Amino acid sequence: MSFKEKSAWISLVSTVLIFGYYFIQLVDLNNLPENDVRQAVAYLAIKTVVLISIVEAVFHSMLAATNRKAAEMGADERDKLIALKANNYGYSVLVIGVVFGLGHMVIVEFNPQFTSESSLQIPMLKSHILLFSLIISEIVRFAGQVVLYRRGY
Amino acid sequence: MSDMSIKNRVREHRFFSDEMTQQQLADLVGVTRQTIMAIEKGKYSPSLEVAFKIARVFGKPLDQVFEYVPLD
Repeated sequence: MSFKEKSAWISLVSTVLIFGYYFIQLVDLNNLPENDVRQAVAYLAIKTVVLISIVEAVFHSMLAATNRKAAEMGADERDKLIALKANNYGYSVLVIGVVFGLGHMVIVEFNPQFTSESSLQIPMLKSHILLFSLIISEIVRFAGQVVLYRRGY
Repeated sequence: MSDMSIKNRVREHRFFSDEMTQQQLADLVGVTRQTIMAIEKGKYSPSLEVAFKIARVFGKPLDQVFEYVPLD
């Protein structure tokens, strides 16, 4: 397994696990009173960002330390092509998510009653639709890299 | 026009170059060992620059290492 593939695996697994934890915690926050929710979401978001930064930094440092030659060499042409292709997959998902988020904002603007009637009770929903889109697009990008490395290209 | 594919004889040339390893070839060309492996298996077609570098390592013209042939 190449250095870049291992790096993609680290990012994929840490993103799925840490943001999976974030979203599970987020659903539980919905039971809190409205005034406390924003503060709790902000605290959870900060905790998640710090956690993923530390996990990624530690694991990537360990990977670079154990594969010093490969880390210094950087990406070759196949690595760059795989990264480009995977970026395309991720970008497509991000665009769909942003369009969905915009659609949600427009619909709620004209039909405010939908917010209270909706079964999708997630705090700060507009922000989280965009955040979900970003995280899912990142997961698709890392998964795309892993699949392309497994296939050869 | 029939479907064409790029075939290569990198593995064969490595063998006849004192059984050069994939890692040695990768170091000489400036790519990873996994990229050499993908090229040998025909899963990845290298850029012209890398193809010329591989041919130069073996001291052969490009068309003796890479061929553009109809699909089997």
